Amino acid sequence: MRVGTLRNLWTRLRRSLRDKPRDQDFVTEIEEHVALLAERFRRQGMTSSDAELAARRQFGNAALLEEDRRTMFTIPTIDELRGDLIFAARMLRKNPGFTAAAVLTLGLGIGANTAIFSLCNAVLFRPLPYADPDRVFVLWETMVAKPITVAPANFIDWRNASQSFSEMAAVNSNAGFTLGSLDEPARLAGAGVSASFFSLLGIQFALGRGFLQDEDRPANSRVAVLSHRVWQERFGADPGITGKTIRLNDDTYNVVGVLPADFQFATNAADFQARSQVDIWVPLALNLERLQRGTHPLRVVARLKPGVTLSQAQAELNVLGANLARMYPADNKDKGIMAIPIAEQVTANVRLALQALLSAVGLVLLIACANVANLLLSRAAARQREMAVRVALGASQRRLAQQLLTESILLAVLGAITGSGLALAATRFVIPLLPADLSRASGIVVDARMLVFTVGISLFAGILFGLGSLLGIKRVNPGESLKQTNRVAGGGQSVVRSVLAVSQISIATILLIGAGLMAKSFWALMHVPPGFHTESILTARLSLPKSRYPDNRRVAAFERQVLEGLHGRAGIQSAGFATYLPLSGSDNGWAFFIENQPPLPVGTFNFAKYRPVSEGYFETLGIPLLRGRLFTAADVADSPWVVVINDSMARQYWGSKNPVGERLRFNGPPWRTVIGVVGDVRHQGLDGEPRPEMYMPVDQAANLETGPTIVVRTGLDARAGAAAVREVISAIDREFPVDRIETMEQVLSRSVAEPRFRTTILATFSIVALLMASIGIYGVMNYLVIQRTREFGIRLSLGATRGDLMYVVIGRAAGLTGLGICLGLGGAVLLVRFIAKLLFQTPPLDGWTFAVIPIVLAVVALLASYLPARRSTRVDPMVALRYE
Amino acid sequence: MSKGKADANTKSEILQGTLDLMILKTLQAIGSLHGFGIARRLEQVSEEVLRLNEGTVYTSLLRLQQNGWIEAEWGASENNRKAKFYSITRSGLKQLAKETENWERISGVIGRVLRLGGRTT
Repeated sequence: MRVGTLRNLWTRLRRSLRDKPRDQDFVTEIEEHVALLAERFRRQGMTSSDAELAARRQFGNAALLEEDRRTMFTIPTIDELRGDLIFAARMLRKNPGFTAAAVLTLGLGIGANTAIFSLCNAVLFRPLPYADPDRVFVLWETMVAKPITVAPANFIDWRNASQSFSEMAAVNSNAGFTLGSLDEPARLAGAGVSASFFSLLGIQFALGRGFLQDEDRPANSRVAVLSHRVWQERFGADPGITGKTIRLNDDTYNVVGVLPADFQFATNAADFQARSQVDIWVPLALNLERLQRGTHPLRVVARLKPGVTLSQAQAELNVLGANLARMYPADNKDKGIMAIPIAEQVTANVRLALQALLSAVGLVLLIACANVANLLLSRAAARQREMAVRVALGASQRRLAQQLLTESILLAVLGAITGSGLALAATRFVIPLLPADLSRASGIVVDARMLVFTVGISLFAGILFGLGSLLGIKRVNPGESLKQTNRVAGGGQSVVRSVLAVSQISIATILLIGAGLMAKSFWALMHVPPGFHTESILTARLSLPKSRYPDNRRVAAFERQVLEGLHGRAGIQSAGFATYLPLSGSDNGWAFFIENQPPLPVGTFNFAKYRPVSEGYFETLGIPLLRGRLFTAADVADSPWVVVINDSMARQYWGSKNPVGERLRFNGPPWRTVIGVVGDVRHQGLDGEPRPEMYMPVDQAANLETGPTIVVRTGLDARAGAAAVREVISAIDREFPVDRIETMEQVLSRSVAEPRFRTTILATFSIVALLMASIGIYGVMNYLVIQRTREFGIRLSLGATRGDLMYVVIGRAAGLTGLGICLGLGGAVLLVRFIAKLLFQTPPLDGWTFAVIPIVLAVVALLASYLPARRSTRVDPMVALRYE
Repeated sequence: MSKGKADANTKSEILQGTLDLMILKTLQAIGSLHGFGIARRLEQVSEEVLRLNEGTVYTSLLRLQQNGWIEAEWGASENNRKAKFYSITRSGLKQLAKETENWERISGVIGRVLRLGGRTT
């Protein structure tokens, strides 16, 4: 019996879902019965038409029978649901205007949410491609609480002494390689890593293996691991690549492994997200005999031992740092150690911005829902009679609610489909525009989390705005509604509508204020003088093979040759070399001592950014000379050692004194004489304060950790300029690739890509919000005018002027708008502090923004209510009175 | 499930239940029959006392089928057209026995109640 019941239920369920209104077999059976009856009557002598009638009479109501069969064979609720769905679909099809408006509005809301969510998903939520990434930390040395990269000797000491970490590995990504075994030399980004690096991260190699301990020594280190990209692009995805040799910087390396395609590593957001991505990995191979503690080229990653917490590890690192400071005061005095989770490290800059965008887009969805709720309300008003008929025929409130919710959820699902399409299109379109910090998002995938999000959000939206139409049916009174032919729904609805409009306006206010602040901040950012010219300047970073350019003198000689080659060429106005180009993200700094300065108190030191440059650099970038002179071709290794400092450095270390002629030195001799003072440059970013900087000729530099960047001021267009530079360089060194030529404007633009991106997106959202809110207020006012047509007619016939009517409508609109704006301003005051960190030179409670945005909103809202107001004045009193 | 429904329902359901019982008995007595045949048989047996809308026979047939008490098979009618033939199943036989006993008990009780001498007013 149980089994029978279950089977029965199953058949019923199946039949409920099947769209088969009538069972053909059943119909055949009944027809046959009736035919046999009729035949019998005919045999009794009736005419055939009478027999037919009598047979039907005797059989009874076949339609009722069919109904019985249906209820017996299906499950009523599901059957109802199916009916509701079909009905809802039919309603939507019959009102294409309404449907299109609602689906598009929702599609925009849901699509924007899905797009931003997928961005967040890819950038913030998706786990890093390592084994157990939560246990991986980046370790920094700290100086004045700021993280700095690590000295090799310190790294080795940490690794030997620390108990909290199961493995520790160092990376030096300042290596560039020229891959020379192919026809055309290619410049590849390279990095040296400790042998344990790959196993620490838990990488599954696509081919081969990582480095062995034994290979992490200077003598055995001619082995390389290739990135997946290089393996595919340069080696045609050769499955037998491991064991083959390649030529890097004129040395022969054995390829031992190929990384998986999804491998990514960096210790900061921009590099990580950009997959900037090292192409060739070689062993770091520190020379344990000659470890330095004074230079800081390394980045260190470590895996926390199971069971050890971050705070325990940090406590141990604090002790370790203090010990090292005691043991090596010359280099380590006042330095500490800091561990930061790698996930935090690579998303730090963008987390806040994305969270702000996600909240903003959520608000846009709320506005969209309010709009659709408004549309549904208007339709509910139009369907008042239909609802009344249903109630009169015995439909329960529950049944009506079910019907209406089915309709709104169906709408939401259609919206979600449209939205997903829009989101996919948007991501495809937007990915190329993504700033480097966000381009991990280029790995956007449609995953389960995203689907759950979209489905969830559309159900949420459907129910949310469905509630609007439910409020509409609460007051259905069949007697009233059926009697009155042309009254629109009563006061309750207009309260709901007003509430919707007010909330739309207040949300739009919040969004607009946020966008206004961002825009103002971005404007301020773009108007920061960077301290150099950006127009007509080309830059290219070169990497000089260590084998042929082993020291800075050789590099300086190369630079001189290039500059001589460029000199006098048509269209080339000036040229120079930098080691660390402003806004490029690469940087370095040194401590220094000033001659005749009283000894510094314990724990303090002089520190300035370190900038080896060639002659012509300042002239090319237009960095102004404030005092003294600039470098010339005469400032070489054998001439007196000289240094040019920037304005900040002069003011910080010499105050009002003229620093020209003063002398300073690094850790060791020789003394360098200050020969000039130049203007400040915002090296780290437009939003960063200028730092003290000291420039020295490349011949006299202490060390060069990275290849030079050429800067060329040219009247030629970028392509011709690049060709000229290539030609000159290849004339000097044929095996020398020059790729990635950029204009200085591109460098600048890239440095503000992330704020530009978020400002643009937020501005777009808030304009959409403004439009939707004004549609909302238009709807309310329009409804108000329709509802009060009769009253207006009476007023007109009693002598009111059309101006008075305008005043009534506009006054009401102004009231709603004013209330919305006030609420929105209140909300904005509470919310803006969350984005304070994203703002540049703009206080969160910026008076200008808080004054202008309400005016903009008020103007738009009043314009939107002007049309309905105009209509109210065209009411013909006679028509209005005759209306009912 | 259908039991609970029948218990809870009203007069017409009882009548329908009676029709169900009569159809089961008919099928047990005669064997395979189509709906028209069942209607004729009921007409004949009841000597036309029981006048019914013949459509209701089909409601009964559907219900009996759903309970698994009868089964149907396609065959040819008298004038050689497609018709469905019903026959009683094993569980239908059991049900018939149970219902018959039930009916006899109830009708006995009702009979006794009705035969009680009443006060004439």
